[in-house]
Amino acid sequence: MLEINHIDVFYGDLQALWDVSMAIDEGKIVALVGSNGAGKSTLMLSISGLIKPKTGSICFEGIRLDKLPAHRRVEQGISMVPEGRRLFSQMTVLENLEVGASVRTARKARFDTLKWIYGLFPILSERKKQSAGTLSGGEQQMLAIGRVLMSQPRLLLIDEMSLGLSPLLVQEISRVIEDINQSRKLTILVVEQDVQLALSLADRGYIIENGRIVGQGEAGELLCSEQVKEAYLGMGLPGKVK
Amino acid sequence: MNAVIQTVLIGIAVGALYGLVALGFGLIMGVMKFVNIAHGSFIIVGGYIAYWLFTLLGIDPYLSIPAVMLVMFAMGLILYRLLFSPLLKYPRAEMRLDKSLLITFGVTWILDNTVTLLWTPDTRSVVTSYTGSTIDILGAKLGLTGLAGLILAVLVAVALHVILTRTYFGKHVRAATEDSGAASLSGVNVQGTYLMSCGIAAALAGVAGVVIVSSYSIAPSGGLDWLLTGMVVIVLAGEGNIAFILPAGLVLGLVQSISTLFVSPAYQQPIALIIFILVLMFKPKGLFASRG
Amino acid sequence: MPVNWKKLSLLGLILALLIVLPLVMDLGSNVMNVMVTLFIYIILSQSWNLIGGYTGQVNLGIVAFFGVSTMVTHFLWKAGVPIYLAITAGSLSSVVLAAVIGLPTLRLRGMYFAVGTLALAQAAQTIVGNIFTRTISMPGSFSKDYSLTPRYYLGLTLVVIAMLVVYAVARSKAGLAMVAIRDDEQAAQVTGVKVFKYKVIALLISAVLAGLAGGLYAYVRLSFWQISIVFSPAWTFDALMAVVIGGGGTLFGPVIGSIFLVVLSEIFANTLGQAHLIVFGFIFILVVLLLPQGLVGGADVVRPWVVRTRRSGQQATEA
Repeated sequence: MLEINHIDVFYGDLQALWDVSMAIDEGKIVALVGSNGAGKSTLMLSISGLIKPKTGSICFEGIRLDKLPAHRRVEQGISMVPEGRRLFSQMTVLENLEVGASVRTARKARFDTLKWIYGLFPILSERKKQSAGTLSGGEQQMLAIGRVLMSQPRLLLIDEMSLGLSPLLVQEISRVIEDINQSRKLTILVVEQDVQLALSLADRGYIIENGRIVGQGEAGELLCSEQVKEAYLGMGLPGKVK
Repeated sequence: MNAVIQTVLIGIAVGALYGLVALGFGLIMGVMKFVNIAHGSFIIVGGYIAYWLFTLLGIDPYLSIPAVMLVMFAMGLILYRLLFSPLLKYPRAEMRLDKSLLITFGVTWILDNTVTLLWTPDTRSVVTSYTGSTIDILGAKLGLTGLAGLILAVLVAVALHVILTRTYFGKHVRAATEDSGAASLSGVNVQGTYLMSCGIAAALAGVAGVVIVSSYSIAPSGGLDWLLTGMVVIVLAGEGNIAFILPAGLVLGLVQSISTLFVSPAYQQPIALIIFILVLMFKPKGLFASRG
Repeated sequence: MPVNWKKLSLLGLILALLIVLPLVMDLGSNVMNVMVTLFIYIILSQSWNLIGGYTGQVNLGIVAFFGVSTMVTHFLWKAGVPIYLAITAGSLSSVVLAAVIGLPTLRLRGMYFAVGTLALAQAAQTIVGNIFTRTISMPGSFSKDYSLTPRYYLGLTLVVIAMLVVYAVARSKAGLAMVAIRDDEQAAQVTGVKVFKYKVIALLISAVLAGLAGGLYAYVRLSFWQISIVFSPAWTFDALMAVVIGGGGTLFGPVIGSIFLVVLSEIFANTLGQAHLIVFGFIFILVVLLLPQGLVGGADVVRPWVVRTRRSGQQATEA
């Protein structure tokens, strides 16, 4: 469904990604893991369109995304929950959700989509007139995901899902992710620092380090691989000495 | 007592106009973070168009508002398309601001000199059958044109508020204002939103120009003075707070008007200036900023 | 530091020409007038160059420093003070004004500084216009002996002084700080540059230069039908234009820009009249958008092309 072919991404003169390639099949959950500053967010920003790669191409269902600005990619069906959520804190919960449905087709269907989202996250319905800035961390994450779902995406990108959330909330959100993947056949790409979480959630995984893809495979296999165990699993589990 | 009511009335009428003047400027600044130094010139051009329609075709300035708004809207679109959108390639906000300062200074130059060429440096005003008429309110007199300006300013402010809160376009504007990247990710065509906002801001300048040419007078050099007034209002309202612009204008108008009870009217502009600097130094987020 | 002898001797030659030429031939009052006007513009644009080009603070009210000096110089000179002292006093008054205005306004962020300075200059124009409503002129004794020659040489001297000042500042620690502030104020702050201090220094020196230009103007122009024109934003715009078109943050940018401005004014004013100002506005905008380094930087843009064509020309002849 999504093909990333040998992209190089620069911030000005600084290169952040080297020859990155990736393939995501429809209906799957794919995890992208790596340590801080490895380039995960850069890759996400490139897919969603806020950054353009210098070389290489990104294809979504055969359509090249290169010339499309971010909002057009949303029309195509790619939507991202950005790192740090980036909610419109001066606007209400409902307004945030409404803005998420800016794309014309999504706008028409927004009442039904809203019902679905209130079903997934009942707390959002309770707080719908509150301004987004007053929500708790977990509620904000739910709103961020809800806002993205309003655009009726076919490929969902989530950048740092678990950041700042309690383990309980993380579990709940993971459940929701799995649910929408199953029920709506949504393809999902998750970027996570918590390797254990990401690989247990996903079907497939990619490992990125220093701007390069250094590993890929079935999530289960990756989780058991020596590479991942050595490099990452000391981080995810409390009390484990690395 | 009558003198006080008179002063208050004048202050309200003038203040409403100040708010109207500042709305267009504040819209561009709040939404796109560009500074449009040419805003004052846009106002004057709007006034000249109304003047021209009046002298040529005898159309009452207030009736020509739709035409003026249309022409100014188009000018705003052109301003954005040709001059502002190239600036978006600079990622840093400071650089965009500096460039927009320079470019719009150039636009001011072009517009002011064009207007001087077409209409000479003389001051112009539209004098109609009702120009000098007043109505009585609570024993004091309010000019009809002042009343019209007040009504228009309130109408425009309300219309803007409704657009910003009830329409999808308005939500796009507010979203793009807060976080243009996140707005893009939500499917908002941020550039298109900016384009429309520029057009609207210019149209608002046009309305202000019509009120000014019929209540006072316009001259090619007047643009900068109105720009500065608008800036003082923006500073009082707090940057980005479009809702507070009209109230801030009223405050400024009232303060200036009341000051005439104590000092000569010639000092009104320096007073506005002093307020400007004081507020910037002590309450940089605006008079109405209660949150920390 | 290695001295560029070729450049230095070229400059020396130009300077020598400028000094000697009026002595050996009668250039005519028209040309002399243009030269003196050019000198005023060069000095004023160097003034803006320092605060705007090097330090990156867009000062839209620089005319205030110019006008104040013109007035002080005029009245002191009228009162019998020798012109050199009068101009010096004029420049000092500009510095005082800069200190008074500068300290509050420099604390303001970019846009507010720009509009604040604009506002203050406008206020100055209004106040001066209200106080001095009648024509101001010199007594007949001054206009009787009027000759452009001393004005030319004084102007030339002041230009040299202005260039030396900018040269010295640009090479100094202060100059480095100013450029750092222009390029990234936050980064400069974080790396320990005392941002406010250097902004003030830039503004004060800029005021001195503007004051020199203003004083020269008072020497050149003896009577003013409306004194408030010396506070007209047109002066600011011209200085800005000269710097932006020529190239800000360079030593010769303002010179090139001023020459461009004055020469084009002369050419266009006769054919286009008022409209020539409009044309300048368009040129200004085009330069801001397309040639951010101005004409001086434009040389860098053009050079690769020139090299390419020369090389291909050589190949064609060799083949």
